[in-house]
Amino acid sequence: MLWVDKYRPKTLDQITVHEDVAQNLKKLVTEQDCPHLLFFGPSGSGKKTLVMALIRQMFGASAEKVKVENKTWKVDAGTRNVEIELTTISSTNHVELTPSDAGFQDRYIVQEIIKDMAKNRPIDSKGKRGHKVLVLNDVDKLSREAQHSLRRTMEKYSSYCRLILCCNSSSRVTEAIRSRCLNVRINGPTDDEIVKVLEFIGKKEGLQLPSGFASRIAEKSNRSLRRAILSFETCRVQQYPFVSNQAIPPMDWEEYISEIASDIMKEQSPKRLYQVRGKLYELLVNCIPPEIILKRLLYELLKKLDAELKHEVCHWAAYYEHRMRLGQKSIFHIEAFVAKFMSIYKSFLISTFG
Amino acid sequence: MADIRKWFMKAHDKDNGSASKHAKPDSSTTEKSAAAELQSGKAELSGGESTGRRITSKYFASEKQKSKDTTETEELPIKRKSPQDAKESPAKRRSQKDSKESLKVPPLQKLNKIDDNDDDDAVISSSRKNLSDVTPNKKLKSGSGKGITQKPVKIEESDDEEAEGTESSRKQPSGRGRGGRGSSAATVGGRGRGGGRGGFMNFGERKDPPHKGEKEVPEGAPDCLAGLTFVISGTLDSLEREEAEDLIKRHGGRITGSISKKTNYLLCDEDIGGRKSSKAKELGTAFLTEDGLFDIIRASGTKAPPRQDSKKSVVKSVESPTGKSSLKVQAKTCKDLSAGASPAKQKRRTVEFSSLTWTEKYKPKVPNDIIGNQSLVKQLHDWLAHWNENFLDGGSKKKGKKLNDSGAKKAILLCGGPGIGKTTSAKLVSQMLGYEAIEVNASDNRGKSDAKIQKGISGSNANSIKELISNSSLHFRTDQPKHPKTVLIMDEVDGMSAGDRGGVADLIASIKSSKIPIICICNDRYSQKLKSLVNYCLILSFRKPTKQQMAKRLSQVANAEGLQVNEIALEELAERVNGDIRMALNQLQYLSLSMSVIKYDDIRQRLLGSMKDEDISPFTAVDKLFGFNSGKLRMDERIDISMSDMDLVPLLIQENYINYRPSSVSKDDNGIKRMDLMARAAESIADGDIINVQIRRHRQWQLSQSSSIASCVIPASLLHGQRETLEQGERNFNRFSAWLGKNSTFGKNMRLLEDLHVHILASRESCSRREHLRVENLTLFLKRLTEPLHTLPKDEAVKMVVDFMSLYSISQEDFDTFMELSKFQGRKNPLDGVAPAVKAALTKAYKEARKTQMVRTADLITLPGIKKAPKKRIAAMLEPAEDTIEGTGGDTLAESDDENSLDNDYAEDSTNAGKKLQLELQNLKKEGMEVQLDLKGVENSNAKKPGGRGRGGGSQTSEKKGGGRGSGSATKRKR
Repeated sequence: MLWVDKYRPKTLDQITVHEDVAQNLKKLVTEQDCPHLLFFGPSGSGKKTLVMALIRQMFGASAEKVKVENKTWKVDAGTRNVEIELTTISSTNHVELTPSDAGFQDRYIVQEIIKDMAKNRPIDSKGKRGHKVLVLNDVDKLSREAQHSLRRTMEKYSSYCRLILCCNSSSRVTEAIRSRCLNVRINGPTDDEIVKVLEFIGKKEGLQLPSGFASRIAEKSNRSLRRAILSFETCRVQQYPFVSNQAIPPMDWEEYISEIASDIMKEQSPKRLYQVRGKLYELLVNCIPPEIILKRLLYELLKKLDAELKHEVCHWAAYYEHRMRLGQKSIFHIEAFVAKFMSIYKSFLISTFG
Repeated sequence: MADIRKWFMKAHDKDNGSASKHAKPDSSTTEKSAAAELQSGKAELSGGESTGRRITSKYFASEKQKSKDTTETEELPIKRKSPQDAKESPAKRRSQKDSKESLKVPPLQKLNKIDDNDDDDAVISSSRKNLSDVTPNKKLKSGSGKGITQKPVKIEESDDEEAEGTESSRKQPSGRGRGGRGSSAATVGGRGRGGGRGGFMNFGERKDPPHKGEKEVPEGAPDCLAGLTFVISGTLDSLEREEAEDLIKRHGGRITGSISKKTNYLLCDEDIGGRKSSKAKELGTAFLTEDGLFDIIRASGTKAPPRQDSKKSVVKSVESPTGKSSLKVQAKTCKDLSAGASPAKQKRRTVEFSSLTWTEKYKPKVPNDIIGNQSLVKQLHDWLAHWNENFLDGGSKKKGKKLNDSGAKKAILLCGGPGIGKTTSAKLVSQMLGYEAIEVNASDNRGKSDAKIQKGISGSNANSIKELISNSSLHFRTDQPKHPKTVLIMDEVDGMSAGDRGGVADLIASIKSSKIPIICICNDRYSQKLKSLVNYCLILSFRKPTKQQMAKRLSQVANAEGLQVNEIALEELAERVNGDIRMALNQLQYLSLSMSVIKYDDIRQRLLGSMKDEDISPFTAVDKLFGFNSGKLRMDERIDISMSDMDLVPLLIQENYINYRPSSVSKDDNGIKRMDLMARAAESIADGDIINVQIRRHRQWQLSQSSSIASCVIPASLLHGQRETLEQGERNFNRFSAWLGKNSTFGKNMRLLEDLHVHILASRESCSRREHLRVENLTLFLKRLTEPLHTLPKDEAVKMVVDFMSLYSISQEDFDTFMELSKFQGRKNPLDGVAPAVKAALTKAYKEARKTQMVRTADLITLPGIKKAPKKRIAAMLEPAEDTIEGTGGDTLAESDDENSLDNDYAEDSTNAGKKLQLELQNLKKEGMEVQLDLKGVENSNAKKPGGRGRGGGSQTSEKKGGGRGSGSATKRKR
């Protein structure tokens, strides 16, 4: 079992990193007045862990008996019938899903599933009609229409179900939804916290940690606990016993992107752009999300870039990232960014070095 | 290059010899010659003509040659080739004779000759004018410049020549007239030499027109090139190929693709001695430079006013032969116009307009009038002629029916594009054979009931639908014994649709029972609606008539209507309407309302707007958009082109825009400008994508134009130019879009990932998101799955991996998914270097473990994206049982497990054969016997196995890269 999963806290009490948040949540639940919740924070900060622990706190061990389903919803969308397939993870008391997987039809999912849940409410042990919890991931990726329809259903069916929304950035969640939820910001764990966790794991696993090794991993992890634990284990698999200057292996795609970046820096020509396009296709085909590609590419480019240009390049990266979200064929936008960068960088090189 | 230049030089030498001869006397008496010209009689004219002809080189200023009739051109080479002056004079005499003879040839030629003469005048004046200002005809200058340099050498010859030449005094003045040109050119020659020559030298290295757009394209008389045939070769000095073609066509010339005897000129500047030029040399075709062409055109243009003057003066002055000839010319033109100019005719025409459209008026009256498709018409005729024998009389005799296979079909189906004469030929043929044609077309109701009318014809006329046909059918019925000749023409059968319920089916039924011939006509024979009908009909596919055929017919019509249109213009018209003669006639009639003389340009202009929509492939569209001339396309044309396929064209543009070197950037140091343009193009393409989302997702179809502008027109206009290859060995054609393929691979991988994600979720051990699974967890998963195989001993490693897999419910397919998703080009496959034996053991162990694991996952999950999932699952669940049977069967045999794995080994070993060959051999040696046995057993129990092995063997030749996959598929087969 991977350590990420093995050492994931199961209950709110076990949670160490965001202990205060966990305690508050526990109080909230035990007082039987759980509002809609919106967790937001960077990836790898423990949102999901909190949510799972919270659900367990609410419903006890039964929440762990989940089943995975691939459901098909038939939705009557006015003029036509829409069929949407989506994978859900559900127990008797909660349903978890990622509506943004349904693409631009996500609003039907949101409406339909909530109605569905409203139909069969579970009855708790005391014979009272309980409520279900709906966990929605990636709310920030929901389309605007879906968010609007969510707003209405949230109120309409609030007696039947509680929504727990998870997202990375609350800025892309509409004001209306944010105001209907209790917003919980989950910060990324600090390096110290990460080191503490890593040392805890090391102790449990009976590993010898060289001094400074854990902090190096923490540093590399970019304040993502998951990332830190994963690379910790990768190191373990790669080489044990640890050496203090052991290389922390990067992700495969990160390596590839840095290759692309150095390609771009080396030569700016149509030919190179064509080659870069081929490599970008590779990444996309391997299911690396385009946003992450663009972000990482910018990061790698900035590393080697002259300070003068950094501002401009960042501006363009943001510009094309925004457009990428509006568009559909992400390769076009990434390529446009690369072409723009090449153009800027080339003229910069020539104007400074002749 | 070198040889052609030599060839050109030779031509110069020859010509200069003669040119310089006349240069001398002319310089003294140019004015006289001009005056003499006017007064010169017929003979003088012809004499001048002949000398003039001699002066003209093959290479430049040779417009005179065109005007010659064929007999002259035949003799011309002799004249040209004659190196000796002594020989030249007889030739001259002969040419004189020729020219005398040519007086008797039809006046049209005389017109040309007069033109030539006038031409001389014009040239003199113009060249005099041009002494001060620089004329654009560098070529000419350079040629004559060279002539000067060689003058000393040739001067004696020329004197001799003159002596002989002056033998007839007639020649002299005209010779002067001719020579005027030469002299004037010679004076400029000094200046022209350097530049002209330099230019000449430079041409060899360039590919684009070197002086693109620098020269002023002359305007000439509209038919100054009439009757001439050109072939263009190589790149020209300032014109693009298309421009040159357009120019020639506009002036009445004809362009052909390859050299033949009929070719008058090979238009080329710095030809590289290709096939065309060599063939031209062979055939003695004259070479012409672009400047030469310009000269011809310009000459005709400048001459136009003086020509009139001279004509007038000539006509006025005396009944000189020229006057006579010009009169004749006029008469001829009048005849040509069919007196279109005369007011009486004019009136007649206007009267006619009111009565009939031309399409009706000039309908073919007999089958032979039909343009093109004569064989099909004949076939139709035969079929109809023998119909009665085949079906009515011989209907009872089944033998006859079957033997005659061409007539075996009772009905006939004519198909082809609109306006090519299907209906007309059907009607005409039936008319000719004395059939009475009943035409039913889309304007009539052709539903079931109507089809019954047809039945009525053949017997049961108990029908409610009526008048239209029943009259004639009644008539027919009464006269049946006498005239059993009726034919049903079902026009536009592919239009039989919603309104005509059961139309086609009933038509077929009536064909079966019909006692009269039925002719069906359709546009699209592959239409879905006609699929059943096709089986019952003899199919005749009409083709578009060629443009020559059409032009011929159109010119007949034009003549009859008193319209003056030259052939080239008509051919252009024929081409533009895409073979639709009806449309051509309509266009012609429309044009005739406003003008009585129709030129090439008029047709072009008129039809640009009303051009028939042509289907162009996305590739052609991209070629057009990115092509050199795309800068000249109008905006609406560009949009039309890019709209020809709204989905594919943008993708192709996106795929290929990198390859174009923009022609708008002439000097680009370091490619900055190109890079900048590319960035702008890329952004515009991205814009197009955003707009496309609006269109598709939010149904904002009004944005489709903006979309095509952003994604096609802007990138193309930024980057249009020459395509270049980026990779070695790439063909220089537009690639097909990679996006489609990549997108589908992405979709597939996404499904696989989803699959994997669901499995891992179902294990209840992890609750990570799909995205995180790929982005963050994958590396570690991969390490956990493959690392032990590399480092640990076989059994331990296999156990470890299988445990891990079963913990996370990772199936064999998921294992492959991991490999697939982590595959990057140029990266090594993590399974490389893993001993096949280990892999095989892994497969085996996994199967063992799955027996317990399987049920749990299969129960809970329906796999997303895979429609057949349940079946597959069930099959997967059932098959382990088979395995156990096999296992138990194997128990009796010694080392059955090992053999099984060995069997797997065999499949996979072969994938990286050679590497483990030795090991395998050892195994085989040791257990060869058992293997044989086992194979038999396996074949009995599982027929699929050999297939799997065969596949493994097949991939033996393939590289190791495929090894992982190969093994996967092999094992999959077995399962």
